[in-house]
Amino acid sequence: MQLTGMIHGAKLLKLAGFPTSEVLGPEASEREIKELIERHGEVFIKPIFKGGVGKKGKSGLIGRAKDVKTALREKERLYFATHSFDGREMKANGVTFEGAVPAQHEVYFSITDSTRYRAPTMILSHCGGVDIEELSRDKIVEIPFDPLTGLKSFVVANALSDLGAPKEIISPLVQNLPKLWDLYHQNGMTVLELNPIRMSPVKPGVLTPVACDFKCSFDRDDPRAARLNLPKSLFTEDISDFEQEINQLRTYQGQSDVYVVNPKGTILALTFGGGANSLVTEALGDDAIISSDFGGNPPYEKMRDVARICFKHWLPQTNVLFVIGGKSNNTDIFVTFRAIADALRDYVATHGPQPISVVVGRGGVNLVRGLIAFKDVLEALHVPYRIFAHDSAMSGVVDYVHDVDRWMKAGGRAAVAANLGIASSDADDIAICSAAE
Amino acid sequence: MPNQAPKPNFENTFLIDSLDQIATSKDRVCVLNILGKESRGVTPISHTYSGGNIVFGTSPGRGGDVLSTESGNIPVYNNVREGLANGHSFNVGVVYLPPAAVRDGVFEFIRVNNELEKVIILTEKVPVHDAREIRAFALARGVQVFGANSLGVADSWNHIRLGGALGGDAPEETLRKGSVAIYANSGNFTTTIASYLKTAGWGTTTCISSGKDLYIFFSPAEFAHALDNDKRSKAAVLYIEPGGYYEQNLAFTKPVVACVVGRWKARLTRAVGHAGALSQGEDKAESKEKWFMQEFGVDAIFTPENPVCSKKGAVVTDIAHIPQALSAVMKLNDTRPDFPPEGNLTLKPWFGNNVGLKLPPELDMPIVKAIAPYDSQIAELSAHVGAILPRQSMKDCSSSSIMDPDTQVTRVSGVSVLDASGLPLEANLCLPLIRDINDANDNALFNVAIASGLNLHGDDIVAVTETVRKGGNAPNAVLAAACCVVGPARVASACTAADTLIDLFAFTPLAEGKAVDFATIKPTAEQRATLVSDKPDAKAEAMLKALKARKAKSDLVAYLVSLGSPTADAVTAAITTTIAWNALISKRITRVTVRTLPWYARLFSTILGASASADKHGETSFCDVEIKEIMESWSTTEMAYLALLGEKPTAEQLFPFQAMLGLIISNGPGTISAQGAKSAVSADGPEMPERVQINKAMAGFLVNTGFAHGGNGFEGIEFLIERFKDTTLKDAGNEKHGLDFKTIAGAFIENFKTEKAARKAVGSESANIPGINHPIFKNKPVNYDPREVYLADLFKKRGEYNVFHAFYRALVQELFAAGVTKNVFCVNIDAVIAALLLKLLWPRFRQGTLQDSDLRTAAFTAFLYGRMAGCAGEIDDHINRGRNMDTRTAASKCSFIS
Repeated sequence: MQLTGMIHGAKLLKLAGFPTSEVLGPEASEREIKELIERHGEVFIKPIFKGGVGKKGKSGLIGRAKDVKTALREKERLYFATHSFDGREMKANGVTFEGAVPAQHEVYFSITDSTRYRAPTMILSHCGGVDIEELSRDKIVEIPFDPLTGLKSFVVANALSDLGAPKEIISPLVQNLPKLWDLYHQNGMTVLELNPIRMSPVKPGVLTPVACDFKCSFDRDDPRAARLNLPKSLFTEDISDFEQEINQLRTYQGQSDVYVVNPKGTILALTFGGGANSLVTEALGDDAIISSDFGGNPPYEKMRDVARICFKHWLPQTNVLFVIGGKSNNTDIFVTFRAIADALRDYVATHGPQPISVVVGRGGVNLVRGLIAFKDVLEALHVPYRIFAHDSAMSGVVDYVHDVDRWMKAGGRAAVAANLGIASSDADDIAICSAAE
Repeated sequence: MPNQAPKPNFENTFLIDSLDQIATSKDRVCVLNILGKESRGVTPISHTYSGGNIVFGTSPGRGGDVLSTESGNIPVYNNVREGLANGHSFNVGVVYLPPAAVRDGVFEFIRVNNELEKVIILTEKVPVHDAREIRAFALARGVQVFGANSLGVADSWNHIRLGGALGGDAPEETLRKGSVAIYANSGNFTTTIASYLKTAGWGTTTCISSGKDLYIFFSPAEFAHALDNDKRSKAAVLYIEPGGYYEQNLAFTKPVVACVVGRWKARLTRAVGHAGALSQGEDKAESKEKWFMQEFGVDAIFTPENPVCSKKGAVVTDIAHIPQALSAVMKLNDTRPDFPPEGNLTLKPWFGNNVGLKLPPELDMPIVKAIAPYDSQIAELSAHVGAILPRQSMKDCSSSSIMDPDTQVTRVSGVSVLDASGLPLEANLCLPLIRDINDANDNALFNVAIASGLNLHGDDIVAVTETVRKGGNAPNAVLAAACCVVGPARVASACTAADTLIDLFAFTPLAEGKAVDFATIKPTAEQRATLVSDKPDAKAEAMLKALKARKAKSDLVAYLVSLGSPTADAVTAAITTTIAWNALISKRITRVTVRTLPWYARLFSTILGASASADKHGETSFCDVEIKEIMESWSTTEMAYLALLGEKPTAEQLFPFQAMLGLIISNGPGTISAQGAKSAVSADGPEMPERVQINKAMAGFLVNTGFAHGGNGFEGIEFLIERFKDTTLKDAGNEKHGLDFKTIAGAFIENFKTEKAARKAVGSESANIPGINHPIFKNKPVNYDPREVYLADLFKKRGEYNVFHAFYRALVQELFAAGVTKNVFCVNIDAVIAALLLKLLWPRFRQGTLQDSDLRTAAFTAFLYGRMAGCAGEIDDHINRGRNMDTRTAASKCSFIS
């Protein structure tokens, strides 16, 4: 749950009483843009992306204009701009117009929770406005501080002294930066970054820190983030319908984490446990449709719903339904397997027989009852299957699944379909159709 | 990157000096939210495994309760302070609270207990905000926290497990004493790795599930320090995922195998699984592999093909390689395994089926006998017939029915009541119990079973019901009394016969749907005695004739006939067991259900039969129709119509009657009638299903209906009669009735407005108009109850007209036009029921052969006929899944009104 840019950033910073540049959204009229230019002499035009997107400036995605005509031309250029970042292709939807802020100094500031110190940590530099990674170490300080007392003025003052920062920026930063702790801590943030903060002579003789870009991340398990009433659509940039449906079931009782690895994959892996998730998804590679963790002892209803949604979205293209986990500590295998098996039976009852193979690997609480419950349903569905327990290596079971998938692709799927008395559809074709829809 | 050393209080803290201090026999434990779902399952196992180390638990509002364990009860207090005040002391706190309460729980532990040394947080999804405060507060007070999202810690030497569930429900099986410490980001893998190590002969010392949130309170560096000082541990295994710099610059003094998994996670933009397993820079899996490789002085990942390791350790990326890697490293250290290897990790499918397909050799793995003790469990369960269902609290829950809160349409056994309205009553009576829709043969069989119990001539039930009826009771009370007579003793013989048939046939070709040579069935003398008698049983013979007349097929009935003279109870049992056979064999329903089906059948017959007065039960007839005829050709729907209205329905009459009954079989487990049935089961204690009095539960359903719940149909009828009694209406099915709905509705509306104003003047609430409006389907300009719409369309397609239904539709428009309602109210399902029933009764009402009280009885009884199906399903569901007294409401949730 990441947020970048000043269109929402300015509103959040205002809550903390931190000065910001003046921002207009994509709906701004020519007159408003003209007046903004008159007030600030120049405007920056920036595309609006959902989620966390950086390095827009380096990619030539920040326009500047001193007249309305240029501003509108830049708006047209950037409104639907595309941007490659972190290996992802992003598309903009809208632009902001931000009044230029004259300044002699630019500052970098962020708060994150550092795993090195296991504490909230401020990173500060008086040489901001550039990527923090590009700065030499002597121009940055990284200061952990006590969350029970918060980011105090003396922490900022000490840090700026250590940096040797120009003295005219110290007092305004010492007065203003601590305000950001409350914004960070009380609203469920895990990252808050302002870069640059431009030290602007808003009043004669005094510099005022003005935030000119904004980035933050929210902890999706922290209900405090909801206090800000931010539109949910801001955080849906890469969430598929499937993920969104599963996310509805997100509670602390049982995991329901999913990520679509390859919408054209052929192995549907329902995975139990964070460890199993890491191991299995890595081993399955792009043959996996999803990466999932349904551990944490989900109750029957939730597990059945999760399985139902998985089958609804992916079973038609699935060659191998793979249910896998280690030796569970508390997850009840009987409850979870019965739920999956019932959801599978319901799916077949509604949609007819499915040409799949099933492979199961699991150990743990109520194991035999769970395995037999699953076996009984698979027998009734008349599909080929193998069920392994915790005395078989998980990675070996994953290799076996790969072999089954290869066989299914090489004619096995058609054979299973013929055995069920149904027409065979190639899983790849179905996946392509599904993706096209 | 930093140019400044971190402040000392942000470094690793080493509150634990040695791993043998992590879970000791001296530790005493308090568990927060001990009665929560997770804790309730695993805490008793931890307590017993650890020799009874939990001194008390907390559960606000449930102080005074206990958590029972094999090692005795653990007392429960409202809060920690209460427990301490009662003389308990502890040094370990275990937290099972919901995420939002975890921080406050930990703070409370620390605040009120100066002896606190360790806290273990099991909860997942603890907000980072709270974790950062917990870390700071615990550190300041010198308390070591484990987690969050930990599965606890365990010591295989001392047999101690603190918090969580390492080792699952049989910790002694996995946590074998040995010389290897485990530290894992995954709780599941902590146990799985311990289990894998046994295959190379390695046991464990201390096992730690660290959790993998952003904040890890017991870090690998702190583990390395404690490992160094632990004399028992000769080596360690670490399971590590990406995210965080916890593993950077680690230094070990003992051999270590590090398993780093999660390279692919670099592709993620948000965490999947463990919240902290998300790299945000140089903390990705590859970096961590390098950090460990540097520490161990190796240049490659260990694999069986390329076993790269040093005396210091090895890095693997597959947990299955851990045992081999550890053995290789330990060999370089001249250290032998702790015990001979146990088992191996090769692929051993316990179950499988090729379904006749020719699989490639590498896929066609033969099925392997499971290891002990699982092999004997499999043998035992394989011998079990029918489904095995887990028990849980069934308060307000049901696997039989559920109402969609948006559409108000209920599904019973997955079938919508809208679809059920198209099924005959005999199918709807079986649906909730068999969980499938009867085929024609099933219906033929079941009709005989119901018909055989319809006539109560000479039965005590008639005397009982007449007495109750004369007391002025409503039909539900009369029928409840009748059900009370049909107690367990009356059906014992039929239920036992069902048991015998299951025992005799469950493992024969009949289980696969094939014919059975009866000569191969060898009943014992005792079994035979449950099925046949020395003398011919007249009722049984009549039933067999009826089955023949209907051409109903049943292998079980044929088997009975092959034995000689079956009893009527055995024939009933053979009928119900035949209908349930496929569901039983495919384990969709339990053996308990099938064994008790004759009881349900008897109760259904009794309810239908007892709703007719004593004089309708002749020696050979029911409501003046020969029983023989009913047995041989009538459907249960027709029998119900006969019992209710005293005549055989025409096809035109039968369809709306059937539709009405199907519609009302259930409104979900939340209805008062279902709650009554469920509570009656709960009170008998379903954990011993054989002692549940199904007839009493049926009475529970009946006495939990009444004029407000079940009598709504009558209110609608009364309303309609008032509107139509002075009209010329003769045939309610004739569209050319010549009536002006506007005038009829207008007259009513004028009166209604006047009355409403008068009531308002004296501060009374306005009377509702029965059959219109619904709390869900409102607030639109024009509102519809989808169930009413469905039926209206259904009847329209059949070309059937109902003047009363049409009037209701006109009335809601007129109410809006007159400004009485703010929008066009819906016509609700009660109106449809009233309209359907009144249309059937109208001719006799017009003839003067039906009085008001008869109408009331008929409307109410019709409701009971339909609803008995759904409630039978709730009873059976609760017997199979519920816990004893699970419908109670906790005292803390009850309130006193003065």
